[in-house]
Amino acid sequence: MAATLMRPGPRPTDPSQWSQLMARAQDGDAAAYGLLLRTVTPYLRAIASRAHRNAADAEDSLQDILLTLHQMRHTYDPARPFKPWLAGIAQHRIADRLRHRLRRSAREVSLDFEHEALASVPAAQTGMDHRALHAALGSLPEGQRQAVLLLKLQELSLREAAASSGQSAGALKVAVHRAIKALRALLLKGDDR
Amino acid sequence: MIETPELIAALAAAPAKVRRLHAPVLRACAWLGLAAVLVAVLALEHGLRPDLAAQLRKPHFAISLAASLLTGVCAVIACLQASLPDRSRAWLLLPLPPLALWLSGLGYGCLTDWVMMEPNMEDPGETLRCLTTVAVTSLPLGLALLVLLRHAERLRPTLLTLTAGLAVAAIATLALSLLHSIDATAMVLLFNLGTVTLILAIEWIWGRSALAWLSRRTV
Repeated sequence: MAATLMRPGPRPTDPSQWSQLMARAQDGDAAAYGLLLRTVTPYLRAIASRAHRNAADAEDSLQDILLTLHQMRHTYDPARPFKPWLAGIAQHRIADRLRHRLRRSAREVSLDFEHEALASVPAAQTGMDHRALHAALGSLPEGQRQAVLLLKLQELSLREAAASSGQSAGALKVAVHRAIKALRALLLKGDDR
Repeated sequence: MIETPELIAALAAAPAKVRRLHAPVLRACAWLGLAAVLVAVLALEHGLRPDLAAQLRKPHFAISLAASLLTGVCAVIACLQASLPDRSRAWLLLPLPPLALWLSGLGYGCLTDWVMMEPNMEDPGETLRCLTTVAVTSLPLGLALLVLLRHAERLRPTLLTLTAGLAVAAIATLALSLLHSIDATAMVLLFNLGTVTLILAIEWIWGRSALAWLSRRTV
C-alpha cells in the first residue's frame, strides 16, 4: 500500500508528457502551453549552449528556437513524438544562426588599439567643426537661426517648435530649409579657405 | 533584449487554437489534383497532341512521360515531407532515381533540337503556345507549392525550394508532352530551375526568403 502511495505519477516535466501538452496547446490551452514552454526551456538551453560558446548567444538562440516553435506549432502532429520535432527546429535554427554569424564575421573587421588611436584624431577636428558651425549659425538671420536651434539642435517637433517660437509650422519649415542651405554654403566656403 | 521568462509568458498569454497541418502526402495529393485540373483545362482548350496514341506506343516516349510524372510526384512528396522539422532531409533524395531515368531519356539530342528550332521555326505560333503552356502550368503550380511550404521559412528552405522547382518542372514537361509535338524538356527544366535559381539569388541579395515573404502575406 505504502509502495503504491510512494510511486511517483507522471511528472509534467517528463518528455513523454510533452506531446500531450503540445496537443492541448494547439487546442488553445494557455496553461498547458506555458507549462510546456517552461519545461522544454532547459532542454533547449542545453542544446544551444553546446552550439555557442558565448552565453548571450546561446540565450539568443534559445529565444529564436522558442519563437520558431510558436510560429510552427500548427505543424506538429500529436500522433508522433514531440522531442524529434522540437530537436529538429532547434537544429535548423542553430545551424542557420551559425551560418549567418559566419557570413557576418567574414564581412566585419574587429576594432583594435590602432583603430581607437586613429579614431581619437578627428576629435580635435570635431571641436573645430563645432566652432565653425556656431560662427555660421551666428551669421544667419534671427528667424532662420531660431528654426535651426529648435528643430535641429533641440530636436523639437514642428508643433512644439511652432508653439515655442510663435511662428507657423510652414514658416518654420521654410526657415529651416533656407538656413540649412545658407549653412552649407558658409561651411563649404570656410573649407575652401 | 527581452528576458526568456518574459518571452515565454508573452507566447503563452494568447495561444489561439491552431489548425493542424494535414499530412504531407495528403497535401501532395491536393497539389497533384490542382496540376491534373490545370492540365485537363489546357487539354480541353488546346486539345491533346494529334500523334499522342502513336507516341505512347514508343517505349522512349512512354518511359520519359512516366519518369517525368514520377519525378513530379516524388519531388512534391519529398519537399513537403522534408519541410517538417521532425522529418529527415534524406527525403529530398526521393526524386533523384526517377529524375535520372527522365534525364537519361533526354540526352543531347533534345538540347540541340531546341537550339536548332530557333532559326528554322516553321511555326512561331506553336513555340509561343508551348511557352504559354509552360507558363500557365508552372506559375500557378509554383506559387501553390510555395504557399504549401511557407511554414518552413525558418528551416533553411533553399533545398526545399529547389526540389519544389523540380516538381513544377516535371509536371510542366508532362503537360507539354501531352499537348505539343515538340520535346522541350530541356527548355522547361531550364525555365523552372532557372526561375528557382533566380529566386534564390534574389533571396541571397535581399537577405530574406521568399517563403518568409509569402508567410507574412498569407497567414
